[in-house]
Amino acid sequence: DDEVRVRQKAPEVDPLEEANFEQELKAVMQESMEQRRLELRGRPTLNMMIPMNVFEGPTKDHHGRGGESGDETLDEEAGGSKEVQVKVLVKRGNKQQTKQMLIPRDCSLVQSTKQKEAAELEE
Amino acid sequence: EETGDDESYEYGKGDFTEHACRYCGVSNPACVVRCNVPSCRKWFCNSRGNTSGSHIVNHLVRAKHKEVCLHKDSPLGETILECYNCGCRNVFLLGFISAKTESVVVLLCREPCLSVNALKDMNWDLSQWCPLIDDRCFLQWLVKIPSEQEQLRARQISAQQINKVEELWKTNPDASLEDLEKPGVDDEPQPVALKYEDAYQYQNVFAPLIKLEADYDKMMKESQSKDNVTIRWDIGLNKKRIAYFVFPKEDNELRLVPGDELRLRYSGDAAHPAWQSVGHVIKLTAQEEVALELRASQGVPVDVNHGFSVDFVWKSTSFDRMQGAMKTFAVDETSVSGYIYHHLLGHEVEVQMVRNTLPRRFGAPGLPELNASQVFAVKSVLQKPISLIQGPPGTGKTVTSAAIVYHMAKQGQGQVLVCAPSNVAVDQLAEKISATGLKVVRLCAKSREAVSSPVEHLTLHYQVRHLDTSEKSELHKLQQLKDEQGELSSSDEKKYKALKRATEREISQSADVICCTCVGAGDPRLANFRFRQVLIDESTQATEPECLIPLVLGAKQVVLVGDHCQLGPVIMCKKAARAGLAQSLFERLVLLGVKPIRLQVQYRMHPSLSEFPSNSFYEGTLQNGVTINERQSSGIDFPWPVPNRPMFFYVQMGQEEISASGTSYLNRTEAANVEKIVTTFLRSGVVPSQIGVITPYEGQRAYIVNYMSRNGALRQQLYKEIEVASVDSFQGREKDYIILSCVRSNEHQGIGFLNDPRRLNVALTRARYGIVILGNPKVLSKQPLWNSLLTHYKEHECLVEGPLNNLKQSMVQFQKPKKIYN
Ligand SMILES: [Zn+2]
Ligand SMILES: [Zn+2]
Ligand SMILES: [Zn+2]
Repeated sequence: DDEVRVRQKAPEVDPLEEANFEQELKAVMQESMEQRRLELRGRPTLNMMIPMNVFEGPTKDHHGRGGESGDETLDEEAGGSKEVQVKVLVKRGNKQQTKQMLIPRDCSLVQSTKQKEAAELEE
Repeated sequence: EETGDDESYEYGKGDFTEHACRYCGVSNPACVVRCNVPSCRKWFCNSRGNTSGSHIVNHLVRAKHKEVCLHKDSPLGETILECYNCGCRNVFLLGFISAKTESVVVLLCREPCLSVNALKDMNWDLSQWCPLIDDRCFLQWLVKIPSEQEQLRARQISAQQINKVEELWKTNPDASLEDLEKPGVDDEPQPVALKYEDAYQYQNVFAPLIKLEADYDKMMKESQSKDNVTIRWDIGLNKKRIAYFVFPKEDNELRLVPGDELRLRYSGDAAHPAWQSVGHVIKLTAQEEVALELRASQGVPVDVNHGFSVDFVWKSTSFDRMQGAMKTFAVDETSVSGYIYHHLLGHEVEVQMVRNTLPRRFGAPGLPELNASQVFAVKSVLQKPISLIQGPPGTGKTVTSAAIVYHMAKQGQGQVLVCAPSNVAVDQLAEKISATGLKVVRLCAKSREAVSSPVEHLTLHYQVRHLDTSEKSELHKLQQLKDEQGELSSSDEKKYKALKRATEREISQSADVICCTCVGAGDPRLANFRFRQVLIDESTQATEPECLIPLVLGAKQVVLVGDHCQLGPVIMCKKAARAGLAQSLFERLVLLGVKPIRLQVQYRMHPSLSEFPSNSFYEGTLQNGVTINERQSSGIDFPWPVPNRPMFFYVQMGQEEISASGTSYLNRTEAANVEKIVTTFLRSGVVPSQIGVITPYEGQRAYIVNYMSRNGALRQQLYKEIEVASVDSFQGREKDYIILSCVRSNEHQGIGFLNDPRRLNVALTRARYGIVILGNPKVLSKQPLWNSLLTHYKEHECLVEGPLNNLKQSMVQFQKPKKIYN
């Protein structure tokens, strides 16, 4: 019941600061790419290690924390939800795990999958 | 060992700040990530505040750090973000890809894994690689953006500050944002502001001021050693050893109060080894004698009386509690309601009303009937989350406060917390509230448990001792044993402490109202208590951080009672005072536009006495609740120049002198005339307890005490019973007759203390039946307010000179007042 309405000015970002930051960010990106290319020079191409078994039914990992509660799935079923549930594949040491998470429906990541799904359904 | 509890008490409650964003303090695990660079390991959130990138992205870019780890309580758990395929941890290269057919996503680096051919045939869709850092934020579904509420209560950090602190971290990785604000040793501290961006900025301003005051207080008190002290030994009712000795105030600034800790030392002689013990001041007698209850009763050289030394033992407790309250205010979102949080910081908040059913009657049982302005005050306060009540002298602040507390307690919102900066005020309030039939617990500092109190039966330590149930018999037994033997075996002591703590808790929890000083609200015994409703009396005499201590225990409804037209808190350190530490929260809220509800009927002063203060300090709004007849002193034959107008300004031309201490002033002529006036009062039938002599200067106070006891025309004892005090210490009190000695009388130096209009207000409003002012009109009239006071007395034919039995109107010329005064 602690609702409070604070009247405040919309945060204003100094355009100069913004330009400056954008530049620095680009520089870090650039530098990262170059550094990476240097590191990789002479190394053999890596093998793709993503296992395929995650695609086969539900995972056995029950330790994931988020997104597993009934509420959130219900949300999705309600149809109006702006989020969809996805599994995120992560590694713990050498062990693979998946964790459930909610991703906004309008995220490009999800959209492509959904489109493909739709396309496949049509076939 | 009595303060042991306090030292183990963690300020800021727990270490949930460990993973708080180092820029803004947001600590929601879903919103923060840790920079994974081993030398850094700082946490940052994913909000932008008013900068162009989110805090974590800002940090990574500015510090050129590139690896992060999620919080263990975030949806993915403690996870270092890395390419699933090659283990690359550079977040600027990472992005998610999704499977073509399933809802599975995985992190993959742009170089080289995204361009590995092997992947192309598989189930992954590489065309939709989605960078981890998008629009200068981490993907929001992975690291949440803090809610608007969370962001509003976070520290508002600017891009400039970020750059500065990142720069600072390069040389000092542990530096905090506060270090940016730290002034150099010789710098003036940052002054207080009217509004603050957030509680961190608030803390940044006040913490250094409190530190300055604490350092000054420590330096001053610890330098107050006294040698060659003569002791008179005694034993208290609790079998503890008490040392009586004289600790004259005249030559030092130090003002002892009951509860202060002193160390008594004896360097030893042929028959006695060296000895020392710490004790608490339990009493200060009118004869300037200190009663010190010693902690240890063994080995005390009670057959020696001379050659002791006394040192002050300085304690940081009150300052620590202020700092702790400010920290809690900043980091603990539940410390006060959102409304109060934003209001205290001066943010514009939409008006809120408290939804409570109002009582039919606003008075309370056991209290006098309320007048119209008091009823109005009670009614409005009950409906608002923050209110200010201004109580000019004698307007029934305490009764009004007690009525408010009574109705709050009846609303069933839990226990009400009632505080004031001084113990005297807390006691008065506790007494009145208890009269309404509410269950009151008066919590005293442990160091003050031996100090006698008018509301002893309400104190927690008394209730613990006298709780009469059979289950408590174990505690009683141990208490008895402790009283008899002085101490217990260590296992018994343990048992005793545990039982006592449990009993204290039980009693406190069953109370409707807890009363303590503002600093007392930080007592560890209240650490787990929450108070939604808090009333602070005399709040204009507390510093802001002091006021904050009772508020951060969960306040949702706050009532500040006080009078900003009377004296504010005493600040010893001039630097801190100049920076605004002497301004109370009440005053700042008034400046922010909160309108105080003023109590308008005064029941103290003879109407002739209230006229000038009402016009000069309260825009003429003060009404008289007493009539001239009710303030007519029958049978008292005192030579008032105008009958029915029991006041006069007695013109004095004697010189001021600097007192022996070199830090104060005295005026012998005025002192001699004070004695004559006192004697005349006594001869006319007034008794000593009705008279109060007040003066702004300690030097004069001491001189008058001394002069009267040596030169008083009547029995010495009569003069000893008359209270002679500083104006400041008389705030909140009253006497039937007041004699005010102004002291200052010089050609060019000005009037110092008398310049403060609030001090004049206090001085003029202490008397019920009559007032005599002694001073030099020529000097005082330069100050505009004094000029108008003198004019007021002159117009009423009360400006007089000559012998008391033949007072004549004075024709002394006033000087033109200087135009500007504050
Ligand atoms: Zn870092
Ligand atoms: Zn942040
Ligand atoms: Zn990779």
